[in-house]
Amino acid sequence: MSTLEKSNVTKGDVVLEFQDLRVDFVSDDGAKQAVKGLNLTVRAGEVVALVGESGSGKSVTSLSAMGLLPPNAMTRGKVNVTGHQVVGMREDKLRALRATEIAMVFQEPMTALNPVLTVERQMTESLESHNLAYGEEATARAVALLERVGIPDAAKRIKQYPHQFSGGQRQRIVIAMALTCGPKVIIADEPTTALDVTVQAEVLDLLRELKDDLGVGILLITHNMGVVADMADRVSVMFLGELVEQGTVEQILYRPQHPYTQRLLASVPRLTDVALTHEDQVGARAAEAQAAVGEAADLVLTVKDVAIDYKVRSGVFRAAEGVSFDVYKRGTTALVGESGSGKSTVAKAVLGLIPTASGRLEISGQNLPSLKGKAARTARRQIGVVFQDPAASLDPRFPIGDCVMEPMVVHKVGSKADRIKRAKELLDAVKLPSDVINRYPHELSGGQKQRVGIARALSLDPTLLVADEPTSALDVSVQAVVLEMLKELQAEFGFACLFVSHDLAVVDHLADQVVVMRRGQVVEQGATERILHFPQEEYTKELLAAAPVPDPDAQRIRREARHQLRL
Amino acid sequence: MTDKNSSQNLASIAEVEDAKLAGSDAAPLSQGKLVFKRFMRHKPAMISSVILIVVILVAITSIGIGGIPGWWPIDYKKTSISVDGGAPSAEHWFGQDDLGRDYFGLVMSGTQASLIIAFLVGITGTVLGTLLGALAGYFRGWVDAVIMRIADIFFVVPLLLIAAIIAKGASGFINSPWFLGIMLGVVSWAGLARLVRAQVLSLREREYVDAARAMGASSWRIILKHLIPNAIGTVLVNATLAIAAAVLLETALSFLGFGVRPPNSSLGLLISDYQNSFTTRPWLFWWPGLMILIVALSVNFIGDGLRDAFDPRQGGRIKRRNLIAAGLMGPSAVDVPSAADRAAAGAADPVERTGSASLLEAVEVQDAVEESKQQPDGDSSPPGGRHASGADPDTDPESGPDNEGQRS
Amino acid sequence: MLQFILRRLGVSVLVLLLASVMVYFLTTISGDPLAGLREQANDPKIATQMNARIQNLDLNTPWFIRYLKWLGGAAACVYGQCNLGVDITGNQVLDSLGAAASSTLRLVLISVIAAAIIGIFVGVVTAIRQYSDMDYLVTFVAFVLFSLPSFWAAVLLKEYAGINYNNWIANPQFTVPQIVVSALVIGVLAQLCMGGGLKRRLLTFVIAAAAVGIALPYFTWLRFWQFPQMGPAVVAIVCLAVAVFATHVTVGIKTKQVLYPSLAMAALVLVVYYAGWGMLSEPNWWILAAGLVLAFAVPWIVGHFVGGRYKTQAIGAGIAVTVVGGFLTIVDHLFVTWPSFVAMKPRPISTIGSNTPNFNGTFWQTFLDNGTQLLLPTVLLTVISVASYSRYTRAAMIDVQSQDYIRTARSKGLPERTVVLRHAFRNAMIPIVTIVAMDFAALIGGAVITEQVFGWKGMGALFQTGLKNVDPNPIMAFVLVTGGIAVLFNLLADVIYALVDPRIRV
Repeated sequence: MSTLEKSNVTKGDVVLEFQDLRVDFVSDDGAKQAVKGLNLTVRAGEVVALVGESGSGKSVTSLSAMGLLPPNAMTRGKVNVTGHQVVGMREDKLRALRATEIAMVFQEPMTALNPVLTVERQMTESLESHNLAYGEEATARAVALLERVGIPDAAKRIKQYPHQFSGGQRQRIVIAMALTCGPKVIIADEPTTALDVTVQAEVLDLLRELKDDLGVGILLITHNMGVVADMADRVSVMFLGELVEQGTVEQILYRPQHPYTQRLLASVPRLTDVALTHEDQVGARAAEAQAAVGEAADLVLTVKDVAIDYKVRSGVFRAAEGVSFDVYKRGTTALVGESGSGKSTVAKAVLGLIPTASGRLEISGQNLPSLKGKAARTARRQIGVVFQDPAASLDPRFPIGDCVMEPMVVHKVGSKADRIKRAKELLDAVKLPSDVINRYPHELSGGQKQRVGIARALSLDPTLLVADEPTSALDVSVQAVVLEMLKELQAEFGFACLFVSHDLAVVDHLADQVVVMRRGQVVEQGATERILHFPQEEYTKELLAAAPVPDPDAQRIRREARHQLRL
Repeated sequence: MTDKNSSQNLASIAEVEDAKLAGSDAAPLSQGKLVFKRFMRHKPAMISSVILIVVILVAITSIGIGGIPGWWPIDYKKTSISVDGGAPSAEHWFGQDDLGRDYFGLVMSGTQASLIIAFLVGITGTVLGTLLGALAGYFRGWVDAVIMRIADIFFVVPLLLIAAIIAKGASGFINSPWFLGIMLGVVSWAGLARLVRAQVLSLREREYVDAARAMGASSWRIILKHLIPNAIGTVLVNATLAIAAAVLLETALSFLGFGVRPPNSSLGLLISDYQNSFTTRPWLFWWPGLMILIVALSVNFIGDGLRDAFDPRQGGRIKRRNLIAAGLMGPSAVDVPSAADRAAAGAADPVERTGSASLLEAVEVQDAVEESKQQPDGDSSPPGGRHASGADPDTDPESGPDNEGQRS
Repeated sequence: MLQFILRRLGVSVLVLLLASVMVYFLTTISGDPLAGLREQANDPKIATQMNARIQNLDLNTPWFIRYLKWLGGAAACVYGQCNLGVDITGNQVLDSLGAAASSTLRLVLISVIAAAIIGIFVGVVTAIRQYSDMDYLVTFVAFVLFSLPSFWAAVLLKEYAGINYNNWIANPQFTVPQIVVSALVIGVLAQLCMGGGLKRRLLTFVIAAAAVGIALPYFTWLRFWQFPQMGPAVVAIVCLAVAVFATHVTVGIKTKQVLYPSLAMAALVLVVYYAGWGMLSEPNWWILAAGLVLAFAVPWIVGHFVGGRYKTQAIGAGIAVTVVGGFLTIVDHLFVTWPSFVAMKPRPISTIGSNTPNFNGTFWQTFLDNGTQLLLPTVLLTVISVASYSRYTRAAMIDVQSQDYIRTARSKGLPERTVVLRHAFRNAMIPIVTIVAMDFAALIGGAVITEQVFGWKGMGALFQTGLKNVDPNPIMAFVLVTGGIAVLFNLLADVIYALVDPRIRV
């Protein structure tokens, strides 16, 4: 039934080769080197991972192979796509290569599909423009492909528009679209970064199967070492436009040579020793017993049976229900879950940004939702907050000093000189030079901005710090720095922390209590040791099994365990 | 990014970033300064600024203002004998009208009145529009509904009609360009209010606003310190466009007989008075029209320059000259994009789109791009203000269903 | 969807109500309707006049009662019992409204349609060729048009395109400097638009300049200006060119499924040109309407059966050919009528009024008369709107072109025309629809000025005299019409939205 064509390359053929690739971007301010002499080979039937953090030039490399770089990019060197030299190639020839020889899977499934065209139109058009199939035949092939990538009821759903599919399904469609013309090499640019872990695991499974089925070569661009361990045969590491190291996945992940790779791997938070099977109940009980439960006197925040509603067009949507947990002094409670689980919603309710429908939110014995006016503001003083997006969490028009001092200004604390003194202390605590006080947010990097955000959160000596995915927008090595800093600051300032995250490894590293949420409800909660290492609920296990670890062997075992879980 | 930072002993992004920050001795660069720098590079806007300043200076100093005499020797209110049929001469630069009055002085007094009205309309309309738009966007609910329904009136009834009625009433009440300007400003806020509202709706979802709310900042503080300053791009750009539109509105009203009334003068009134002398004394018709055109055109170009400066997305062409300067124009080694493929410019990664894809700045550039993406449609509206706004966020199908999709 | 539209309609009616209260109130306080008469109130004749006026304007009742009376009359329009009150002289407003509204709306509608087509086309082209010389040229022209006081431009247009043309047509001659300057200007513009390297620009310049330099004296020698002619050869050549061009831009010239039907359409146009000549010499509106229907139906049927997998493109290209062909056929008939028309009306381009009084001609002669009456105001309104539509379209297209899905489309190896027409343009249309719809009220505002300069007795005059006399009822009629149209256009925009954007079809 499948009309899928196997690409007519034999395993081991070189399908993509970069030779001394150099890309420079030219602007009015001069030229900037994005890729400085890259050599890389992808063979049919293998996955080569190109790993790097922001600014490493990995995405630029992938676009250069497609010939999709903007006009101000100057490309030199050679890029061979199945024997065709792409650099300097004429546009029409290049166009003929796209989709038939080399195809691309983009990062953002939400924006990679045209919202006003049906999936059918978007899938068949490449077949038609490359003269491979037309009309009903093209549709039939598209339907077969959709079925292959796991879209149920494909013949019917192909007539739908992208917004009628979920994020994971859209990424599957994007993958199917890349496969329509039987390319010999696929560039997957962060194909799972925008997806939840469980969906990510499924999409990775799909990519792996397709590679084995079709024998294509895959160049996988990613920053996630877990994904690398899960997928790659060989790995190339880029840093600031240069290729610093390459080798097999075992070589790179087990025995990294270059200091950058070593540092990078050391920064990846790991979650190991997870019992995904039911056998280790003894350990669970042991962990339960071990977990130190705080004294009631140390209680900072009590969330009791909270429900939260959102108004939507068709009525009221319950975003969270029956959520209860505690946060103790100097302790960290983590809210974990995938998108739509309601974890950030609960955090926002704690911050007073959205109203609760019922339940109690007590901080130091006062029920926050029932407080009004001045009392509410005084109670709020005890809560500091760090948000996810470093770009949006500081007002771009405020100098850094004003950002840090804003809470003091709002609550009229101290004189101007006091505030400046305090701001300098805080910036010092987050290891930023004190002259940064006069700089503006756009002059800082993401990690630095996030540190300013932490300094601001601490400026009124809060008893509770709410951290809503504070590191998920940061590079791994930067994330490590920020997390370490958060830990040190907690020891120094003694605040309690409500930590919202989707990353279980980070949570394992930081939290002592974990609340697992799904669709607005708590699935499982308890001491970190027990929840993350001896999970009881299926969903928690699934989450744990889906998060890839940067260790190829361990990852293989996990993957199999996950497959069993799903059965 | 300087090369010394990428040396081998730094092996982590965080370290490189911190080294860069510590090593940077450049003066802090506020957004205002950045915008100003970009504006200075916009040639049409700079030329227009100079022209506009010259026009304003000449209009004020030549015949003086408020009783202070100017350098122009002839009293434009005095009739005299027409020399050479009133044609422009060394004595009467713009010629004389049918009563022998000096036309340069008349045009300058008209320009003064038109400029005063235009700026008053621009300022009043901008202040009102910004405040009302910010209130509507921030508080939403019934405040929003009331303000926006009132704003909608200006989309079902032509502004010209309301302005004409207001202007007629105003000039019958107090015959002064100052009063007329303020009254016209009172009805010229709807377009800007709509744009500011749209922008505030997106800004209020930013995390720094959430942070301010969480720390207990008052609504007024948030609106005045966070929302309006961050909408300043939209506000300033549209304020200039509103001034250009106001020049045209006032002159049109005066032309129709509802605006400035004698003994006051205005460029529109001059055209209305002298449109029938086109065949006999064409300069009486040309000069005021050209003055309107020059003022409106330069203000529009200034607005365009401001827009490019605030939102560099659509500006900035990479010039061949720069490529050569950068030493990258090897004739064979470089794939120079074909002209037809220029369109591809925007297609690639947002990082590259800004044309300044540096290595470490990549993250920040991306941030900046994300920020600029959030700018509402209205920012890219054309000048002239014939359209007061872009799409109504209420009717904008993109925002409605999508927002809900994210929540559920 | 229906619910959505009904809700929007409800809000619109509310806004309209608010607007009417505001306008009524502001009008009543904008001046004293009796001011002119008060000074001579002692004169018994004037006193009667004054009483009549007080009677007509109902000045003895408070303004809100008067407003409610007006509202009651206007609301009765829903069941066809319109009563829009009387104006200051005691005439029924409804009587004068019909003629005024029809002439103004004709003007505005034609302008809006022409401006939307031209503006969107120019916007798309400038967006594709962003930062080319043509882009800069169009940008500059658009800015000049934005900044142009429309009444001033109207007087200029009246003077040069109207009066001077009428003088010239009496004895059409070009002087040598005129020819040289036109040739040079058009040459420069042509090379700016075509772009390319120095050689190509030079070549474009020479060809364009030479063409103009030869054509102007040649046409004069042909006496084309007095006796214009086109003939079947030109129609045939243009139709063939359209067929080839349409095929080229949609699917590429090699695609026979599109090329053949569009060539067949070109042949069909020629057949109709000859066969229908007699009938079209004395046509009526029904015949023309039937022709229009056929111009869409025939290519649709042919394309449907012949086009195969390029059905849509074949239909589109076919329609382009038949519409252009039909247009040219009509133009040829007009050309043939032109000499007799000029004989009847020696100054053909009208600068005053919206129709020539006592003009009795054939169908085409009357058509030309109406056309020449409409020409200048329409051109003015169109040109001003083209400027803003083209800028909006350009901005929307550039915005869309940086979207991820455009990159996806390119990565699939689609030809540039597919990327632009199918992927970018459809998305860019979404904001433009709103703008065109919202622009309508503003455009009627612009029409007021244009009508004043060209002496039309349209809605502008209704409004102007009404306001001068502090006479609310004509003004309210104006508000009712523009407001109703604005609401209607917004509804239309909602429907188009739903067609363009599947996300709101729910």
